[in-house]
Amino acid sequence: MNTSLALVVAAAGMLLGIMTGRTAARIWLITTLVGVVAAATAALSVLNGADWEWRSGFTVGGELLHLRLDGISALFMMLLCVVGGAGSVYGSEYWSEIEHPRSARSGRLWWSMLVLSMGLVLVMSNGLHFLIAWELFALSAYFLITLDRQRSEVRAAGWLYLAASHTGTLCLFAFFTSLAAQTGSWEFGPMRDQAALSPLFWLALVGFGLKAGLFPLHIWLPSAHANAPSHVSAILSGVAIKLGIYGLVRFSGWLPMPENAGTVVAILGVVSAVLGVAFALGQHDMKRLLAYHSVENIGIILIGLGFAMISVEHGNAAWGSLALAGGLLHVWNHGLFKALLFFGAGSVLHATGTREMSRLGGLWRTMPWTAGLFGLGAVAICGLPPLNGFVSEWLVYLGLFDATILHESSAWEAIPAAIALGVTGGLALACFIKVCGIVFLGAPRSEAAAHAHECGKSMRSAMCLLAGCCVAIGLAPIVFWPAIARAASTWHPAWKVVQAPESLAPLGRVHVALAVLAITAAALLWRRVKHQGLKRELTWDCGYAKPSARMQYTVGSFAGIITEWFAFILRPVRHMHRPRGPLPHDASFEEHTPETVLERVVAPFANLIMRVSLIARRLQHGHVQAYVFYVLIGLAALAAIVIAGGGK
Amino acid sequence: MNHNLNLLLDVAMGLNLVSLACSRLQTLIRVMALQGVILGLMPLVMEHDLDWRFALIALATVFGKGMVIPLLLRRAMRKAHTDRELEPFIGFVPSLLLGAGGTIAALAMVNQLPLLPEHTGSVLVPAALATILTGFILLIGRAKAISQACGYLILENGIYVFGLLLLKAMPILVEAGVLLDITVSVFIISIVVDRIQTVFDSLDTRHLTTLRE
Amino acid sequence: MNTIVDIVLRLACWLLLAPLLPGIINRVKAWVGGRRGPPVLQLYYDLARLWKKSVVMSTLASPAFVVLPAVAWVALLAAAMLMPLGPAGAGLSFRGDVVLMLYLLGLGRFCTAWAAMETGSAFEGMGAVREVSYAVLAEAAMVAAMLSLSVQTHSLTLTTMLSPTVGAGAVLLAAGLFIVLLAENCRVPFDDPNTHLELTMIHEVMVLDHSGPPFAVILHGASMKLLFFAVLLTQAVLPMGKLGVVSSACVLVAGVFVVTVSVGFVESLMARLAFRRVPLQLATAFLLCVFALLVAWKGGVA
Repeated sequence: MNTSLALVVAAAGMLLGIMTGRTAARIWLITTLVGVVAAATAALSVLNGADWEWRSGFTVGGELLHLRLDGISALFMMLLCVVGGAGSVYGSEYWSEIEHPRSARSGRLWWSMLVLSMGLVLVMSNGLHFLIAWELFALSAYFLITLDRQRSEVRAAGWLYLAASHTGTLCLFAFFTSLAAQTGSWEFGPMRDQAALSPLFWLALVGFGLKAGLFPLHIWLPSAHANAPSHVSAILSGVAIKLGIYGLVRFSGWLPMPENAGTVVAILGVVSAVLGVAFALGQHDMKRLLAYHSVENIGIILIGLGFAMISVEHGNAAWGSLALAGGLLHVWNHGLFKALLFFGAGSVLHATGTREMSRLGGLWRTMPWTAGLFGLGAVAICGLPPLNGFVSEWLVYLGLFDATILHESSAWEAIPAAIALGVTGGLALACFIKVCGIVFLGAPRSEAAAHAHECGKSMRSAMCLLAGCCVAIGLAPIVFWPAIARAASTWHPAWKVVQAPESLAPLGRVHVALAVLAITAAALLWRRVKHQGLKRELTWDCGYAKPSARMQYTVGSFAGIITEWFAFILRPVRHMHRPRGPLPHDASFEEHTPETVLERVVAPFANLIMRVSLIARRLQHGHVQAYVFYVLIGLAALAAIVIAGGGK
Repeated sequence: MNHNLNLLLDVAMGLNLVSLACSRLQTLIRVMALQGVILGLMPLVMEHDLDWRFALIALATVFGKGMVIPLLLRRAMRKAHTDRELEPFIGFVPSLLLGAGGTIAALAMVNQLPLLPEHTGSVLVPAALATILTGFILLIGRAKAISQACGYLILENGIYVFGLLLLKAMPILVEAGVLLDITVSVFIISIVVDRIQTVFDSLDTRHLTTLRE
Repeated sequence: MNTIVDIVLRLACWLLLAPLLPGIINRVKAWVGGRRGPPVLQLYYDLARLWKKSVVMSTLASPAFVVLPAVAWVALLAAAMLMPLGPAGAGLSFRGDVVLMLYLLGLGRFCTAWAAMETGSAFEGMGAVREVSYAVLAEAAMVAAMLSLSVQTHSLTLTTMLSPTVGAGAVLLAAGLFIVLLAENCRVPFDDPNTHLELTMIHEVMVLDHSGPPFAVILHGASMKLLFFAVLLTQAVLPMGKLGVVSSACVLVAGVFVVTVSVGFVESLMARLAFRRVPLQLATAFLLCVFALLVAWKGGVA
């Protein structure tokens, strides 16, 4: 199908979705899916062939409409289509009319709006229109986050999101207007030759970084992702924050880079990766924990991007392109497995009504599908072979090792980054053993967990789709390589062709062999066990005859060792009543990790601003006479300035 | 470039890290004494033509840092009935990682320093910086007065290594002055340790905050 | 045809020789302690006996409890296939296989810890926590060690990486990797495989509830991991690439033997560390590997 035609169909599908979202749920689902599939074919044809570009005669806001879909935007478009499609299917059951009569209709409407506006962000090639689409995207995300706005914490999360998002938009506004002022046009494209533009990159870093949720700009992310409906969390975490990455990738390739920009991005990546997962370990809320893992994975992506930028500074494209390819593939991978994990968390929330992990447990019995698919997502996010997470981390590692071997000064950055990546992998493993072990395994810790139920077919099929994608990328990475290579070669004008590392194909074969062997060995062992006889007894527990659910390891105690290592930055809040006296009865221990950056850094600062504003508010009291007096003072001051400056 | 000297300096830097990781005060004192002895040997391997003055410095350093000061500290420790650093302000793992990071940074930075041509290729300056940093970490991060005394002495070892750069110019004067200073301060510390012990029944310097008013 | 024979021989080597190592360690411990000790082949007898037993499984556990040990075992076997065996090279080798090796160990750990959480027992939870927490530090040390090897040899393939040069770096690396070996295989001073006090164990306490064939798979996997680390340590430190085929094979066997015996000696002569001190030891291993990396780096400049 022709790319233009596909995009027209996609846009039409989304617009129809917006129109029918309030009234006809089934038609909404079909049109949305048609739109998504059409957009996916467009993205696919761009990834396989030439860029698509359309300069129209229409003007919007005084600027000619200019759309473009090239390798990088097509890559993100593809992810948007997969997660958007899966999310629509999932959402149609998860946020159904029966359970959420108040908000299901507007949920569908804003969902289509969100997908459409994110698509628009990806194709806009004019700064002004990009900003309009960006704002539309931010607002529709806000309405989706606050779908359940009867709950006060949802409203608080929504406000925080909106404030952070607008701070980012402010930076982007400054960025695009100064770009337009210096180049004389709102159009953007490669402009690496204009060295004067390089400081603007810092503005873009803050603006897009706020959206991407890199540490320490992630303050809005945990509460927004935790309180949004789960399909919304999935698309926010899987795709929306990736648009921040999209902006960074786009403009780090097009703008001239200030000195050391690559190092700064790589350091931010390392900090986000390690601290993101450390904060995740301290969480008790399942979705909040997953949200912190987004910070971690954004960090891994930024490590890849940062080293690509460093390699450009050193004029060495070989390892830089590996790191960038790893980062870009991780964009896809994280989008897929994080959406899968949020869907899983949503189905747990749907079945038990709680996100508190310490009230869950033993869910595999009643929700085997969710447990299995969540476990698969956990293996993928830990970056373990043979799934997709490993492939992208492997590419980033390859870039870092190569940078070290070449013995350039860039190795001073590559060595700590490689070690940090290893540490991140270990911490992520600990964290997901914690989540899976506490939520799905062991004994149920509450009534709700004991009487959970499996999710329905739509939710399950959405999860299966994403899990299938994770497995496919893991087992056949070479099939997906051309798309990644296409995006990586679009990134920098000088990188014409990005070669596949010659060992990518063998890695895929090893993954297949590993998967086959593991399944065979598991089946053989199961048969052997069945043959020898399998008896069910109480957990042995060294002979203790009455084990209870309360004796299991809990969320806090599982992470205890590691959160202690990071206590200097996590600042966990502890409440402890020690047992006292010979017959103690009243002892308790409670610990939780707050959003430290928000509560210790941003909140005090905001309080200061509030206090100043309250003082300023005294000037506003409702006496019209006084207001006229203010006007007079203002005029006098202006006159004074004119007179004083007029002498020159 | 002097291989023997670099080897000794490497060992001294290794001892820095050991001193950061050990919790037993006895071991800490022993490590510090060993470092003192190694430092004392350095003037001997630095020059090919042995001057009697260098020999004298070496002897004095080995005797002072390796025997007298440790002896005094050990006596103070026995009197205070304490042998372990239990609750340091900065944990052992963080202080070890800090010290190692500092050492690596010092080694990496040495090429950027304006050094005399005869000192390029030598790890004298990074070793001195790393040792001073170790001393500071011990002084800041430990609670017991004895560990702090050791930190102080390791800090002085670092200054001594810097002094080796000036060995030809004004050998005895610098070192003698510093050594005297240290000996006196160790005496004072022993006395203070004794007093803290009798007043608070513990060597934890945190108790000193009660003297604020 | 040749490749099939090669793979069969290699598999036989890993599968059949691995259970010998714990036997040797126990023999050394018995010898130091002045006892006669169990036969060297004890683990083989144990495995055969366990294979024939029936399985008792916790009522809380899912079928994954039984099958995950097999997955972990496959992961370890795959890592072993990547590991070159002296002159014979690796069963499978490509650029970047070193990262795959590290993560296959991670996959094994994931499966064992998952199975431990299945039982809902406080003891097994404790073991899983310790395993995954301390592995973080061991992982950092392993990455640093692998970086130092690849800086030395300008390679990312295990076969070429494991023919290093002799020097001060090798000593540091040997010390670092030996500590990692002790920690990853849960030997004294990190863990005591012989203790009967559940509170003090890591690996053993994780597998308390396993029985029968799955337990045999776990024990065999653990012995394979020990052999794996011993082979890695030997080849990472000794420059065997310069020797002939026969002599390098002999050196490899001797090296593995020496490593095993020294594990036995450490176990006989040291006490288990307090858990508080475990991170410090692992941090030491990490720093040893980092300094080996620095030495390799300086050597590369000259």
